[in-house]
Amino acid sequence: MSIKSSSLDMQVEKRNFFKKFDGNLALVIFALNLIGLINLYSATHGVVLDHTVKLFYQQIFWLIGGWILYFLITLVDYKFFYRLSYFFYGLNLIALALVPFIGKTYYGAQRWLDLGFFRYQPSETMKIIMIFVIARILSQKSSYNGLGFKDLLLPGALTLIPFALTVKQPDLGTALLIASTTLSLLIFVRLKRSILVTACLIGVVTLPAVWSFGLKDYQKGRILTFLNPGRDPHGAGYNSIQSKIAVGSGQVLGKGFRKGTQSQLEFLPERHTDFIYSVLSEEHGFIGSITTFGLFVVLFFMCIRVATQARDKFGALIVVGILSYLFWHMFINIGMVIGVMPIVGVPLPLLSYGGSSMLTTMLGLGVISSVAYRKYLF
Amino acid sequence: MIYNKNVTNSEEEAKEYTNRYKLLYFCLIAVSVLVTARLFYLQILQGEILRTYSDKNRVKETNIPAPRGLILDRNMEVLVDNLPGFEAVIIPQQVENLEESTKAVAKVLDLNPKQLIKHVNTSKRQNGMFRPVKIKENLTLDEVMRVKMLRLNHPGVNINATILRSYTMDKNGAQLFGYVGEISKRQIEDYNEKFKGEMTFVLGDIVGKNGLEEIWEKNIRGKDGISFIEVDARGREKKEKSQAESLLGFKPIDAKPGQNLVLTIDKDIQQAAYEAMQREDKIGPRIGALVAIKNNGEVLAWVNSPSYDPNEFSTGISSSLWKELIENPYKPLRNKVIQDHYAPGSTFKPIVALAALQEEVIDPSTIIYAPGRFRYGNRVYHDHNRYGHGNINVHKAIEKSSNVFFYKMGIQLGIDTMYKYAKMLGIGEKTNINLANEQSGLMPNSEWKKKHYGEEWQPGENLSNAIGQGFVLTTPLQMAVAFNAIGTEGKVYKPFVVKKVIDAQNNIVKEFQPELKRNVSEPNENGDFISNKNFKEVKEGMRLVANGQNGTARWWKIPGVQMAGKTGTVQIQSFSADQIYKKCEERPFDMRHHGWYVGYAPYDKPLITVAVLAEHACHGSTGGAPIARDVIYAYLKKYHPELLKRNKKAPPKKLVQESDPDEVEE
Repeated sequence: MSIKSSSLDMQVEKRNFFKKFDGNLALVIFALNLIGLINLYSATHGVVLDHTVKLFYQQIFWLIGGWILYFLITLVDYKFFYRLSYFFYGLNLIALALVPFIGKTYYGAQRWLDLGFFRYQPSETMKIIMIFVIARILSQKSSYNGLGFKDLLLPGALTLIPFALTVKQPDLGTALLIASTTLSLLIFVRLKRSILVTACLIGVVTLPAVWSFGLKDYQKGRILTFLNPGRDPHGAGYNSIQSKIAVGSGQVLGKGFRKGTQSQLEFLPERHTDFIYSVLSEEHGFIGSITTFGLFVVLFFMCIRVATQARDKFGALIVVGILSYLFWHMFINIGMVIGVMPIVGVPLPLLSYGGSSMLTTMLGLGVISSVAYRKYLF
Repeated sequence: MIYNKNVTNSEEEAKEYTNRYKLLYFCLIAVSVLVTARLFYLQILQGEILRTYSDKNRVKETNIPAPRGLILDRNMEVLVDNLPGFEAVIIPQQVENLEESTKAVAKVLDLNPKQLIKHVNTSKRQNGMFRPVKIKENLTLDEVMRVKMLRLNHPGVNINATILRSYTMDKNGAQLFGYVGEISKRQIEDYNEKFKGEMTFVLGDIVGKNGLEEIWEKNIRGKDGISFIEVDARGREKKEKSQAESLLGFKPIDAKPGQNLVLTIDKDIQQAAYEAMQREDKIGPRIGALVAIKNNGEVLAWVNSPSYDPNEFSTGISSSLWKELIENPYKPLRNKVIQDHYAPGSTFKPIVALAALQEEVIDPSTIIYAPGRFRYGNRVYHDHNRYGHGNINVHKAIEKSSNVFFYKMGIQLGIDTMYKYAKMLGIGEKTNINLANEQSGLMPNSEWKKKHYGEEWQPGENLSNAIGQGFVLTTPLQMAVAFNAIGTEGKVYKPFVVKKVIDAQNNIVKEFQPELKRNVSEPNENGDFISNKNFKEVKEGMRLVANGQNGTARWWKIPGVQMAGKTGTVQIQSFSADQIYKKCEERPFDMRHHGWYVGYAPYDKPLITVAVLAEHACHGSTGGAPIARDVIYAYLKKYHPELLKRNKKAPPKKLVQESDPDEVEE
């Protein structure tokens, strides 16, 4: 009987999978993946250099890995992340704390642990794990009247530790992104008005101090350069200017696949990672860039819909957290490319080359898919 | 389960957030509007102009090199200048056919085409398509014209204006001024660390290497400017006014010239000094060093010989010339005035005389028997005159440079007393002039001997050190400072060579005043001093050196002014007794004695002090004294002509000398 019932369960489960699985969400993600691959092919097959060619094939490998992760996580009940959030947080914190001692140094910053086959960057996974921890804490609180000061102590402390460790590496960009997900979640669940006002005041007052003592010279430089690109036309200003030329010169229809002179002739630095969107804009014009951006917006709307239909508060909160993670990455990256944000080394999810970025993004989207899988059916 | 315990799976619970989603929608829509508007602006409104930039036009970024500050003499005469120069570059990005263009340029500029293509490709790989690749510097006007012709058919080939550092005195003063050259990789790191936040250095920058150019880098260096020029697809500059500035935020930056150094050096005195060192007399051009200081420590002339032409470095020194400079045994690159040690020889005797008088070992009337040889312990010590000097007092001892007189002083004083007085006058200590790698010299005492040799001071060593031979080591600058202190009766000044730093608008950035280190005619913290009376006695002895009947430098005079000084001859190896009186000139050149002369004028109240060291010149009298005389004469003629006798003719330029001074002072 037990055999019979289990086979019956299997059948139910099977039938349910296609019914419960959010196909539209997967389709939008897949569309972005395709755009990403086509674009990356162009960016890595420039006329001058050929050492980037292999990166394209590596990206396909990461993409396949990402989709496997996506399906696996869809099938896992997200309660799993609730239960193990502190455990993951602890593990990740240990890894982060180990970085200053056994971490590898590249480009002047010590951020990576060498796992032999893979260079693991603990601060990158921390961005996602932070979401689970904060969502768990907030899901236990009622916030109709807004969170008070006491409610902020634990989330604040749990964010501050990885934040400080990451700032020390030094990697201010990633640290700020870690903090930004916590902040986004807190603001989402509603804060008392008095706290918002005090936070704003403190921010305004401490800004000059942070500027003089907290920021490194090159960081100040980037912000000043953003305000006035002519200030440093050799360095960051040069990238910003060339990126603007690349985007604008795409005009309506673009110059065509692999015909972008700005990118192909190496006017653009880091064109397969941070400046991937300028390659797209140059070669596919307004139509191409607005379509891609539109797909992101559609994806985010779908995520919000998943959150509204979530079975419980924790589900809603992790979706909002991951959404904010994706949103901030996209906005900072595209903003930088089109000259409305300073130059910061942040990848564009699903489009930029990079294993860490691809796997974390697909993992996050898998969690959203998992919440959608268990939503209430109306 | 924890999950179920804390969270109710109720729809109501999750509805707590229903109103909050508005916030998310709002953010998303706001960002959508912003990004769409910006894309619309860039790609549709500005698209055409930006397309022109990327397609047909390029914005060419040109570096405007900032001129380095000038180096001027005390009367604002230019010593180190900047001249315009030209260099040829290739910008790979603008080249149509790299190989052909490179070959064409190589032909015109007479370079090896294969190496050039390799060079251009390496730079392209390392620095990208944009960075102009330097092909040849310091083009002649003819070459500039030929490259300009070439540009019509070979876009991407360009001429850049550069600045050439020019040393107006050529070889004269090279070791003081230093030279300039391209920054080395190690310097980039060092400088960027050292000048963090003030200036940055990149590959290809020209920086000072050596001398004042290096020490004052921070002030002399200007700040490069940047200009933006629109060029067409073939790399030619467009005539119309650039839109780049308004549209893309390119802002040209003017070059800011560096600050100028005003030195204490006087160009005429420096010239006279250099010419005197290069004089073609019996000895020939001197190898060695000369320094002249004013009585307040200002350096008036600074010469090292042999020298090199720093202009050769500005135009990129050839490896063969560099090798020649490095391998020259007489070290033309070395700033011998402060960087080489020499035993002071007999020029040390006035200091020992001061010690003996002040310690009351003798008084001016004490007569001492000074024969040609002197036995002490089981060794015989010789005088340079084998017949000796008979019965003499301290004045005569200095005038004739008696060795035996000072052997006896050395025995009675002992090294530690001599040490005390020598130190007071600055022997064996850095003068602290603001120049690199100054050597401190060495004034030994018994404690030093014990520490470095683990041995007691031997009484016999008092003798050799009393005549400036044993362990004592000094630099020419130290001797000039010490003799100026004797002449001014106690004033030990810190010598300095930079009077002022001024900016391009002639505003004073920094100004330096004479700095009196100490006045030894007044008791120091240990109560030690040298009385003015004793200074006067020693000065009288030194006046006799230049003016007395038997003075070792009596052949060189200036009409109207009495000089004072002291000759010195330094054995550079010890000789056996039978060799001592062998004529120095008969020895192989590298074994000949060094000659010293340190002198000042006027004898009573010195205005200028000159120290000359002439390596392997055999005698201080012929090797150094005539040179010092010429420098002093040049100075007095320019600044104190009233002192010189008008009715007499200027001293003959050539050395008149009836007989060689036959003494070989030791």
